[in-house]
Amino acid sequence: METLTAQIVTGLSISSILLLVALGLAIIYGTTGVINMAHGEFVMLGAYSAWFLQTFFGIGLIESLVVIFAMVAALGWVIERVVIRYLYRRPLDTILATWGIGVMAQQAIRLSVGGELRYVEMPPVMDGSIVLLGIEMSAFRLFVLVLAIALFAFTWYLMYRTTIGMKLRAITQNREIASCFGINSGRIYSFTFAYGAGLAGLAGALVSPLKSVSPEMGTTYVVDAFMIVVLGGVESLIGTMASSAILGQLYGFVAFFSNDTFAKALVLLAIVVVIRFRPQGLFAAKVRA
Amino acid sequence: MSRRTAVQIAVYGIVCLAILLVPTFYDDAFVLNKYSRYLVLGILAIALSLSWGYTGILNLGQATSFGLGSYCMAMGLKLRTVPVHTGSAGLPDFMVWNNVDKLPWFWEPFNSMTFAIFAGIAVPVIFAVLLGWFIFRGRVTGVYVAIITLAVLVVVNLLIIDQQRFTGGFNGITDLAQLEIFGLTFDAYGSSSYYLIAVSLTFSLFFALAITKSKAGLILQAIRDQENRVRYFGYDVATFKMFSFAVSAGIAGLAGMLYTIVMEFASPTFLGVPLSLAIVIWCAVGGRQSLLGAMLGAIVVTGMQGALSESETFLDTWTLIMGFLFVVVVLFLPKGLAGAAEMLLDRIWPSAGNGNGRANKSTSRNTLPRKTEPAE
Repeated sequence: METLTAQIVTGLSISSILLLVALGLAIIYGTTGVINMAHGEFVMLGAYSAWFLQTFFGIGLIESLVVIFAMVAALGWVIERVVIRYLYRRPLDTILATWGIGVMAQQAIRLSVGGELRYVEMPPVMDGSIVLLGIEMSAFRLFVLVLAIALFAFTWYLMYRTTIGMKLRAITQNREIASCFGINSGRIYSFTFAYGAGLAGLAGALVSPLKSVSPEMGTTYVVDAFMIVVLGGVESLIGTMASSAILGQLYGFVAFFSNDTFAKALVLLAIVVVIRFRPQGLFAAKVRA
Repeated sequence: MSRRTAVQIAVYGIVCLAILLVPTFYDDAFVLNKYSRYLVLGILAIALSLSWGYTGILNLGQATSFGLGSYCMAMGLKLRTVPVHTGSAGLPDFMVWNNVDKLPWFWEPFNSMTFAIFAGIAVPVIFAVLLGWFIFRGRVTGVYVAIITLAVLVVVNLLIIDQQRFTGGFNGITDLAQLEIFGLTFDAYGSSSYYLIAVSLTFSLFFALAITKSKAGLILQAIRDQENRVRYFGYDVATFKMFSFAVSAGIAGLAGMLYTIVMEFASPTFLGVPLSLAIVIWCAVGGRQSLLGAMLGAIVVTGMQGALSESETFLDTWTLIMGFLFVVVVLFLPKGLAGAAEMLLDRIWPSAGNGNGRANKSTSRNTLPRKTEPAE
């Protein structure tokens, strides 16, 4: 029993990180249809920003979160303005272009800070662990979990309860008609991309104390995040949440019974099957065609 | 045969001939080995150009076929390694280190080199047919094809690394014998290997060209442009896609085998995501809708990378430039350098390009509706 609950908690911790990474991707892909292969690099840049701010300015992780969000979001905005907006009519080419951007970002980091592993210190307040319902859990992991849920709630509010969100959903349904009603779709797209990038940056910053920071760290996340978005259904935020929860638990459990590699392979295969039979995702919102 | 096709064949022939003549000018073993490596990657790009440029299947997992072919060849060659390097009872060394005491059943047939060479093409083709059946029968298209192929690549890669006892894991299969067929030894650093690869390249290029010029090739291109319309004409789109996918896998498998000969090992990086995406880059830069363009794209890009890799800082900057170049090509030259060259040629010599271009279009228009069975 105790191993089971411990296992579920491990799964929840994996899920929260996955959710953080996938949330930004889900919004970008869901609204603009851009397959952002550079998303992992946004995560990586967020992690490096955390490291940079901590090492050179002595700013703690928690305090720097807002700055990191702003920095990565600004970068996302620039990339959208300069490259992505020319590719909305060629979704397959967005894979290529964003991948090229990812390569550039990785290489830029490697050239400027070097390719060696970097470590970010955990906030001292959260170094310990908390006993919750009889289970010991690292305080920082709990913080990540809470923050992931909070960010999810905020994003949901943004999408469904604000004017910007309404415009965004209108564009998703039909860009031309939305434009006819005076919605500046270009600006909304830039905003979405920047927001998604910012979320990825936050995810990277939050992951940085848990894992080592390297220029390649993003690639592992982007594949997982993609699978979550596809699994969850493109236009469904709740689906993203649910599928990160499922995937996190699945990773945790299969890895518990066999090994990490096998877990990964099995989960990927399961997702391939899902795409084949339900390309709209498991939790797709009903959309009028 | 239209004049355009004749010109195309002539150009392709000249390029292949030039490639075949290289060893008469360069006799340096090291240089030849380097060039043969680039040529192998050129074959790989031809494979992707066939499925991506001509059929519209963005296969992000092209390296799967490449790696499978490479491993088949490596397994065959590993069993021929001189006994000094193998473990007791003729077992490959890494198996001995991993406490395997009997040759696994799927290694058995590789005792025959003929089987190994056959498998190097058959295994990727069968794999592609099964995967293609799974994907295309379900009418999965576009982005989802890309994601599935990428996921499958990662799975195969993970499994190969994980099953260290049978595959050599991270290290791959190293310390191989040299390939010997018909009394000819193919030394990785000799001109014989270079010729083998150059001939394979010529063969692959013209084989792919023949397919694109055939009626089936026209249908493939029609599927790329308007899949539903082809379906309404009564063609079985899924079968055509599986065909293109499988042929492309076979060519990639061949490239994989040759790569093992040149590199003298097989490694999980041959099935890595970076390589797989690099193939896409070569095709995009060279021109995905031109077999020759894609091939030259691969040779030039990897060649430049190789030339600059001698100095560490240059290589790093090169990757940065490469990424930038790639973004620029995607943005401004969707048809790659070959497309740009064609456009330029049309301007300089309008009669040749334009006239034939129109003729070409009208033939494709005539050929398509000929078979007008009702759609299922």
